[in-house]
Amino acid sequence: MSNPAEPQVINLSEAETGFPQEIAELGGEELLKCIQCGKCAAACPMVLAGFPFFNKRLIQAILIGAREMLLDDSSIWACQSCNRCTEICPREVRPFEIMLAMRRVAVREFALPTLAIEGLKSLYDVGHGVYLKEAWQSRNRVGLPEKPPSTVAFPQALQEVQAIMRKTALADLGIIPMSEAGVTERCEV
Amino acid sequence: MKVGFFVGCNTAFNRPDLEKAVRYAFPALGIELDNLDGQSCCPTWGTLPSIDLVGWCALAARNYALAEEKGLDMVTVCGSCYGSLAETRHKMLTHPEIKAQVNEILKDTSGKEFKGTSKIRHAVYYLYKEVGPEKIGEAVKHRLDGLTIAAQPGCHSLWPSEAYADPEEDTFHPRVLREMCTALGASAPYYSRLIDCCGMGGMRSTDMDKSFKLVRTKLLSMKEEINPDLIVTTCSSCLIQFDTAQEFLQKDRLLDFEIPVLHYMQLLALCLDADPQQVTGLAKTGVDRVVNRILGG
Amino acid sequence: MPKVGVYICHCGENIAGAVNIGEAGEYAKSLPGVTVVRDYLFMCSDPGQELIRQDIKENLVDRVVVAACTPRTHEPIFRKTVEDGGLNKYLLEMANIRDQDSWAHWSDKEGATAKAKRLIASAVAKANLLEPLQDRFVEVTGAALVIGAGVTGMFAALDLANMGHKVYLVEKNPSVGGNMAKLDKTFPTNDCSACILTPVMVQIGTHPNIELLTYAEVESVEGSIGNFKVKVRKKQTYVDWDKCTGCGDCVDACPAKAPNEFNEGMDKRKAIYIQFPQAVPKKAVLDPDSCINCAKRTIGTPPRIHSVTGEPILAHCEKVCKTGACDRSVAYDPAGEVVELNVGTIITAAGYKAMDKTPFKEYSPQSPNVITALQLERILSATGPTEGDLKRPSDGEKPATVAFISCVGSRDENYHPYCSKVCCMYMLKEARLIKEKYPDTNVYIFFIDVRTPGKDFEEYYDYCRTLGIRIIRGRVGAVDELAGDRLRVRAYDVDMCAPVELEADLVVLATAIEPAPGLTELGRKLGINCGAEGFLKELHTKLYPVETAVKGIYIAGCAQGPKDIPESVAQARAASSAAAVPLTLGKVVVEPLISEVDREKCSGCGICVPLCPYSAISRTEFAGKPRAKIDEALCAGCGVCAAACPSAAITLHGFTSAQILAQIEALTAGTGGVVYV
Repeated sequence: MSNPAEPQVINLSEAETGFPQEIAELGGEELLKCIQCGKCAAACPMVLAGFPFFNKRLIQAILIGAREMLLDDSSIWACQSCNRCTEICPREVRPFEIMLAMRRVAVREFALPTLAIEGLKSLYDVGHGVYLKEAWQSRNRVGLPEKPPSTVAFPQALQEVQAIMRKTALADLGIIPMSEAGVTERCEV
Repeated sequence: MKVGFFVGCNTAFNRPDLEKAVRYAFPALGIELDNLDGQSCCPTWGTLPSIDLVGWCALAARNYALAEEKGLDMVTVCGSCYGSLAETRHKMLTHPEIKAQVNEILKDTSGKEFKGTSKIRHAVYYLYKEVGPEKIGEAVKHRLDGLTIAAQPGCHSLWPSEAYADPEEDTFHPRVLREMCTALGASAPYYSRLIDCCGMGGMRSTDMDKSFKLVRTKLLSMKEEINPDLIVTTCSSCLIQFDTAQEFLQKDRLLDFEIPVLHYMQLLALCLDADPQQVTGLAKTGVDRVVNRILGG
Repeated sequence: MPKVGVYICHCGENIAGAVNIGEAGEYAKSLPGVTVVRDYLFMCSDPGQELIRQDIKENLVDRVVVAACTPRTHEPIFRKTVEDGGLNKYLLEMANIRDQDSWAHWSDKEGATAKAKRLIASAVAKANLLEPLQDRFVEVTGAALVIGAGVTGMFAALDLANMGHKVYLVEKNPSVGGNMAKLDKTFPTNDCSACILTPVMVQIGTHPNIELLTYAEVESVEGSIGNFKVKVRKKQTYVDWDKCTGCGDCVDACPAKAPNEFNEGMDKRKAIYIQFPQAVPKKAVLDPDSCINCAKRTIGTPPRIHSVTGEPILAHCEKVCKTGACDRSVAYDPAGEVVELNVGTIITAAGYKAMDKTPFKEYSPQSPNVITALQLERILSATGPTEGDLKRPSDGEKPATVAFISCVGSRDENYHPYCSKVCCMYMLKEARLIKEKYPDTNVYIFFIDVRTPGKDFEEYYDYCRTLGIRIIRGRVGAVDELAGDRLRVRAYDVDMCAPVELEADLVVLATAIEPAPGLTELGRKLGINCGAEGFLKELHTKLYPVETAVKGIYIAGCAQGPKDIPESVAQARAASSAAAVPLTLGKVVVEPLISEVDREKCSGCGICVPLCPYSAISRTEFAGKPRAKIDEALCAGCGVCAAACPSAAITLHGFTSAQILAQIEALTAGTGGVVYV
């Protein structure tokens, strides 16, 4: 969607005027400093790859209150977190923080990709956002112990990680099951 | 010298040969590694950072607390771990209110505390600064004379420079990785898309074809401008992208060559006479030719 | 018992929007001594002033409190009103219930009203104790100082000189001319900069009323309007300028080289050099840092004698000098010479600096083919390193594609948040000059916004587009070095909604206009503050744009903020006419708000003497005992002495201890002595 070649009228009268404030509260405080100069977009990987809502355009969409439009699009999850925009932004807008803030808005509307849900689930269940169950084989092959010295090898550590996660916004959102029980068996690699 | 090894997910589960390379090369250079038992995910961008700012910092802070308890800095070979841990530390140290909230959470959940006394360092930048390219050049058993390397520094070793313990002097013209390759006898020339993104990470999980556009542009720039024997990166994500994407691109007839790929720590371990099966054995690209050349030379 | 009239101004909505005027007025009526309370929409308008005049004439009031805006702009107006009504003009007190109240507490109407009451009570308390004071006059030294001899300083100096005033013109470089002398052509008319500037430089050099002090800098400034004492350090030239004819023989003979500042470092000048061919004065200067002391001729030592010929062994510069201006035997003082000037008024036209390219790493400044716009100006100029031929620095090839990047360091929170104002126009101008001379060249300009607000500017822009100059909207994010000394410019084209890449041979950075180095320091010497952006601050942006907080010191040109040549010249001429007023009158009114010593109470302790920042206090004999004496002409009324006097023997008129205590008491009444405002 949002292909510039197929313009759709954006009804500014229906814009959500509180949207910039919502973004600011979720970590995108510097949003209003943006003058849309486009420097961030010049070498943004998302632009080069062809995602519709990269830094500059995301910020403008927020500024005009196009909240629904952003929620309908998955671009924000393609941001590489490379922070090249943060480094070169002449207005100290920190566009990457705004990208993250937008993700936080989307998550609260349950507009997040399956892979992100799986990552969160994995983070809660084993303490790693990326995890391969069969990794022990390749670890063995290269002469390493089956488990790295992380939460997968230390159940107490995993309990700590889970306890921390239950103190975050994730606990209220109900995106993933976050029970306190059953830690030990889940930790089996 | 002793330092904590922050392994990270991709290194531990996807490319344990890279983990093995670190565990080989550091002691070989006289640096002891601590396991930081009980470490977790940094956490990576698509997980808690995308949900809750303080929660992100709290999980990172727990990892820091493990290192702080031992009075050690941490090293990592993964760009995402480096970025996530450096950025959370920077946030907590520049925003006392975030730090206070984080410590409140840590106290209630684990009795730990984030003080800010330990840093996250990138393994390659750590070696560059603490050992130095010259001494590393002297320590190796195998040299890379005549080998041309395309350096792939990886975004997270560069930006945002304010967050990092060892920032490049000029983050748009990074030198450290190239100098570290030169120290091993190789040449690592500049090419014009040196600092461009490889397309790994959130982009690859969102849209593989789009992600491969970026890695292809980079590969073509490398091939055309410096025709390298090997791509060497400082980031485990770049490693996976370059190592796996080329086969797909070739299948789709978008690429008619293959350049083998290694992480710098793998290359260093090879030069320090590690078992090539252990430190490069999981590579998808054909690194054997380069490995044989190194060990034979 | 004094009869105090309180006049509350609504200032349209400015005050009335936050302060309940009726409530404040009712309260004022209850204050001691108050006989009349009135309010009006605009008290400073004629009908408003008439209210005050009428009450005075009808003998209803003999002290006036105006509760309105700032005394900075309006005290002179209301003093005149009071005087016209028939009272001594110092029987006025202002309560600033706008800047310090309604504006500051706009969202707290109740608090603003409460604060207005306190401020009015405080002013009334003081008004009850006001005494009539008489103005005094000081003689004005009939000369002016102009700091900086760029186009702004030169016009300011010429105007004053043409009015018949003596002018000292101080310039830090060896020649007058400033940055404008480096420009090739000037927008919007494309006059050749040298053609319009050099005749002015000649006039400056020959005007009987102008004394030129080039290669000199202001060291210190003392005194006040009418009588400033200025110390100027003339830097050491190591050449006797009385003898130097500017022939240039020494320059030709000199073997030592250094980067040429005039050509923005793109070629070399000699260690002994004339700043540029049209320099005024045309005199040589020796730069000891790059001099290699040929023939071991260290400055200030006698020459060695040739063992065979018996002739002295001289350096090249000395050997060729026909007038003896180059003489290395002279023991020149490296610190130069300090001269003291007495002037009545001062104009500061210290100019600007164009930012260097090195901080902008994302634009590959290490490439010789990435240059600043001022460097391009030198390349385009007939007196520049390529004598006006467009050549790229790496190899002297003519560039086929040139890319301009706007806002480099401007509108940038990391460097300068302000817009440098002239860059859009000078980029268009440079692009046009290239396109007119080399129509085949591809010229691209990468902009954020094209800003052309000025007479004939938009028309200039329109014309440039017809020449085929391509305008891309989108700030450049990266410049990559390519093989063959070429560069890849990367931007996001906002209008095409697509990333763009351009291979260019020359990349021109429109770097920001920033305050000249040392401007803050100069401001400190003059007593003028700089704004957050580092430029000197005018007294009032709209009404007093060339005046400063220090009476008798004026500012003009880019020292006040980025501006183009037409604006700089206009401001120069505004400053010269403002600075000429005291010179023409020959005397200035000085407010009688100065300190006075009661010699009966003075113990002669002398504590006040070193404290006075204006050196106005001395100890003299009175009735056989030492007593403090204040020179009225020097006293600036700061009050330091009155506050420090252990015997309470010093009174600062207009701010007596009794008046100040009454104000404080009224401000803090009913608060236990503490009030938060």
